[in-house]
Amino acid sequence: MFLALKEIKHEKLRYTLVISIIVLISYLIFILTGLAQGLASQNTSAINSWQVNSFVLNKDANINLRQSFLTKNQVHTLKQNNKQDALLGQASIVIKHKNKKQVSATMIGIKTNSFIYKDMKLINGHKPNNDHELVLDESLINQNYHLGEWIKLNSSPQKYKIVGFTKNAKINISPIAYGTLSAWKQINNINNNFAASALVSKNRNYKTNNTDLKTYNKKTFINNLPGYQAQNMTFEFMIGFLMIISLIIITIFLYIITNQKLPNYAVLRAQGISAKLLIKTTIFQSFILVIGGIIISSVLAGLTYMVLPNNVPILFNMPTLSLVGLGLIITSILGSLIPIKIISKIDPVKIIN
Amino acid sequence: MSILELHNVNKNFGTGLSKVTALKDVNFSADQGNVVLILGPSGSGKSTFLTIAGTLQTPSSGTIKIDNKNINNLSNKQKEKLRLNKLGFILQTYNLVPYLTVKEQFQLVDRIKKDNLNDEQLNNLLAFLGINKLINKYPEELSGGQNQRVAIARALYPNPGIIFADEPTAALDSDRVKEIGKLFYKIAHQNNKLVVIVTHDLRLKQYADQIYNIIDGRINKN
Repeated sequence: MFLALKEIKHEKLRYTLVISIIVLISYLIFILTGLAQGLASQNTSAINSWQVNSFVLNKDANINLRQSFLTKNQVHTLKQNNKQDALLGQASIVIKHKNKKQVSATMIGIKTNSFIYKDMKLINGHKPNNDHELVLDESLINQNYHLGEWIKLNSSPQKYKIVGFTKNAKINISPIAYGTLSAWKQINNINNNFAASALVSKNRNYKTNNTDLKTYNKKTFINNLPGYQAQNMTFEFMIGFLMIISLIIITIFLYIITNQKLPNYAVLRAQGISAKLLIKTTIFQSFILVIGGIIISSVLAGLTYMVLPNNVPILFNMPTLSLVGLGLIITSILGSLIPIKIISKIDPVKIIN
Repeated sequence: MSILELHNVNKNFGTGLSKVTALKDVNFSADQGNVVLILGPSGSGKSTFLTIAGTLQTPSSGTIKIDNKNINNLSNKQKEKLRLNKLGFILQTYNLVPYLTVKEQFQLVDRIKKDNLNDEQLNNLLAFLGINKLINKYPEELSGGQNQRVAIARALYPNPGIIFADEPTAALDSDRVKEIGKLFYKIAHQNNKLVVIVTHDLRLKQYADQIYNIIDGRINKN
């Protein structure tokens, strides 16, 4: 530690430059992780708020809520306990109001006796009491939509009243408008033969005997949300790539620095200073660089989070960010492996000859 | 009793047609309180002699004793410990740690070995070497001669019995050679150390108690 700290103190410019590169890379990693988390949350926040574990869809719907319709006959074959099972209808809508920007959204129709309806937590207003009332996701407030206003959906002349706003009401990055199941039927303009898009259940082992329907667990359902996996894989690829870049930078830096120090290290080895001490010094230096970089970039990422507008989908989740930080620390250890190999092979005889 | 002894030491590099014998039947012994000069041209085996006597290389055959203990069979770790406690090295290229001040060069030794010179002894040594006012300087701020004296002080600080010096005056002018030569003489005689200098610099002859010549790996007392 003594050698490591003294060197950093003496070689300020050199180490400042390296820490700056690590700060920039780890900052980018933190921001990308935050965006990945934010977007993932916008895909699944409603599903998570319902606390459901099983999804019953039409087997030919390609595990896609938008493509799934359950007929009344199919629904009659399903076990339904209002405390843990709920029918829901899904429709893609455009929310319109004169002089306001149109917003693409998802209408979720639910029964007023379902647990989703009962567990819905409102920021303000009340839950829909009839087929012409809607509760909207809070992000619509930022789009200048207000409580008590009458809005139109798609091209329908029917007006709907905003009676409340709720948090965590997004599915597949689209804000949700909660209404009744009957309202969903009106909006979708479907005949009475269809009862819902899907049944969701808190039961992990929900089973159906209807061969036209199929039950999927939460993970399968979420992974099949349109674009969800592609988006996550893109972020994971970018983050992984940045980790590799930081690994290469740390390795190159330590490799060059170690090579420059070989004559000094050879003399120290001749004097009886163990290779172990010199290796510890290199690992510690690598640690300081990365931990310093992580601390500075965390502060910068935190400040960025504070100044970003609300509509930027960024979410900082401490356990995930800690894992990213741990990944960078492991990177620093891996980065010091080649310099460690060089140090362990130092032969003082070469410097004397 | 000699503090350093080499008996019938040979060192070969390579095998078959490419075999080179760097040391041939070397017999050598020296006591504390002496400056021993090993003189020889480049490629004569001087450095091989120093690295073998200094436990940095193992001989192909023969025996080396330090303080009357055979060191041939010591492990690398034991050799490291021996070098740390009993041997000091002064090299042509000083190779002081560039990011440590003169004072910190000694603090580094303190961190790995306990019974070094005490503060008073260190201050006396620094005054003796004329570098007591350079204690807070970095190597880059010192002249060549000052760097060499710091390197000498660093080698002496752990209070070794034997000091090996490899071409310590190669880069110095005659005045500095005189200065360093006197210094080695004082170190050996006043502090009762064995100073073994391998060099081709004949200007150091006048400060030596014993002189050996080494040519083609064979060593002979002058």
